Amino acid sequence: MIQLFHVTKEYPGDAPALQDVTVSVDKGEFVFLTGASGAGKSTLLKLIFCDEPATSGQLLLFGRNVAKIAPRSVPYLRRNIGVVFQDFKLLPRRTVAENVALPLEVQALPAREVRRKVRLLLRSVGLEHRAEKYPPSLSGGEQQRVAVVRALSADPALLLADEPTGNLDPDRTIEVMELLSAANARGTTVVVATHDRSLLERYKRRVVTLERGRLVSDGALVRRVAQELR
Amino acid sequence: MKLRPAYFTRLALEGMARGPYVALVGTATIFVALFATGLFAGALAGAERLLSAWAGEVRISAYLSPGTDLAAARAAVAAAAPGREVQAVPAVAALRQLSVELGDETHVLDGVGPGVLPDAIDVLAPGISLEGARGLAARLRALPGVAEVDYGNAWLEKLETLVARARVAAVVLFAVLSLATAVLVGNTLRLAVFARREEIEILKLVGATDVFVSTPFLIEGLLQGVCGAGLAVLALVAVHLGLIPRLKAAVPLASVLSLSDTLPAGLLVGLLGGGAAMGLMGSALAVIRTLRRT
Repeated sequence: MIQLFHVTKEYPGDAPALQDVTVSVDKGEFVFLTGASGAGKSTLLKLIFCDEPATSGQLLLFGRNVAKIAPRSVPYLRRNIGVVFQDFKLLPRRTVAENVALPLEVQALPAREVRRKVRLLLRSVGLEHRAEKYPPSLSGGEQQRVAVVRALSADPALLLADEPTGNLDPDRTIEVMELLSAANARGTTVVVATHDRSLLERYKRRVVTLERGRLVSDGALVRRVAQELR
Repeated sequence: MKLRPAYFTRLALEGMARGPYVALVGTATIFVALFATGLFAGALAGAERLLSAWAGEVRISAYLSPGTDLAAARAAVAAAAPGREVQAVPAVAALRQLSVELGDETHVLDGVGPGVLPDAIDVLAPGISLEGARGLAARLRALPGVAEVDYGNAWLEKLETLVARARVAAVVLFAVLSLATAVLVGNTLRLAVFARREEIEILKLVGATDVFVSTPFLIEGLLQGVCGAGLAVLALVAVHLGLIPRLKAAVPLASVLSLSDTLPAGLLVGLLGGGAAMGLMGSALAVIRTLRRT
């Protein structure tokens, strides 16, 4: 699903945000990407959803070399990727239903189908009664649930979440993590960037750790090495 | 991308409703530019109409050399101006006419004999164009016994030169105003686009193409252009409807003017098309610049 080979990302005048990172994520996996602030987690996610190009190395997404994808094709690639942010990134002057409908409207689904799907999605997260409200009138937890539902509305193959629980209290954190786990159970590959260690301990999933732009540990590798040693 | 005009028009209208100030400024800018251009172009069209009408009313006079046979000269002039009314004006009649025209000042002619004015042949040519009058004068000038031909050419030609220069000035003015308006509208719409950069960012995040993102902005620019131009056309019609009767009352020669002379349909269609093009161009400039940065 995602393969990075010796990927480096540099910004002019700064230390490299990512250095020689080689990692892969298989279809259907649930991976935590962790590390301190500035470790390169968000940069790695930006490279994966084609927001920025890598300075060197190769990134393969769905088997395609991202560096060779024409800019005009990037939007179509992104339709296979749902993205969730710490600050929700909901449009404040569009209703909850309109926000959830965005990816479906971009894909030109018929209006009736969009309405039907939005209703079902909001019902699935218990927010059907908030459909006509505007995001600022919702709690943080509700806003993040709307953001997750929006990211999943077009049934993407891959879901990227950048500190999705960073602004939430423990109860709301569990709600959001349950949504991500449910999506993963339905077959969506999920990559969650977080520095919250309690999440890693609570949800026993593969953990990839970055430190100052370098990959310092990978749960999959550790498991593989342990199996080989046995 | 699937064509969804109703969907994108709805998005454009929603965008305008969310940022009415920006929409208003864009519309007002286009209105001012097109109103100014329309006023100038309307005045020019009116001047051209008056020029052709006034030229048509000019009496073309062929003054004869002394000793020329008046009857023969009249016949020659009539042959050179077929279908026109031709009058022979003997020197005596001309002097009498001059005396009448001088009124109380007629004493200035005391002691002036009839030989001081030449015999003349007048051609009345209503509806003739300035170019036609010029051609006829040339033909008359070539006739034997004709010493001089007068059709008021000095002031008519000055007026014609003035109109020709004004026409060039109108084209330059329109080009400059169009460019300035497109830049102004572009900057105004850039504000609108900038205010919605977060929305653009999120749309791109969920897989929107540049065409999907920019179409509502282009429609917004088009609507602002058409609204601004429509208002300018209405204002011009109102101004001309108010001015033409006053002009007719003040200048009798302007009695031939009508609304279709000063605001021809072609000009109005051109203003509407120009407004739409300005709005579209301005929004395209704004969107392209913003999309490059997101």
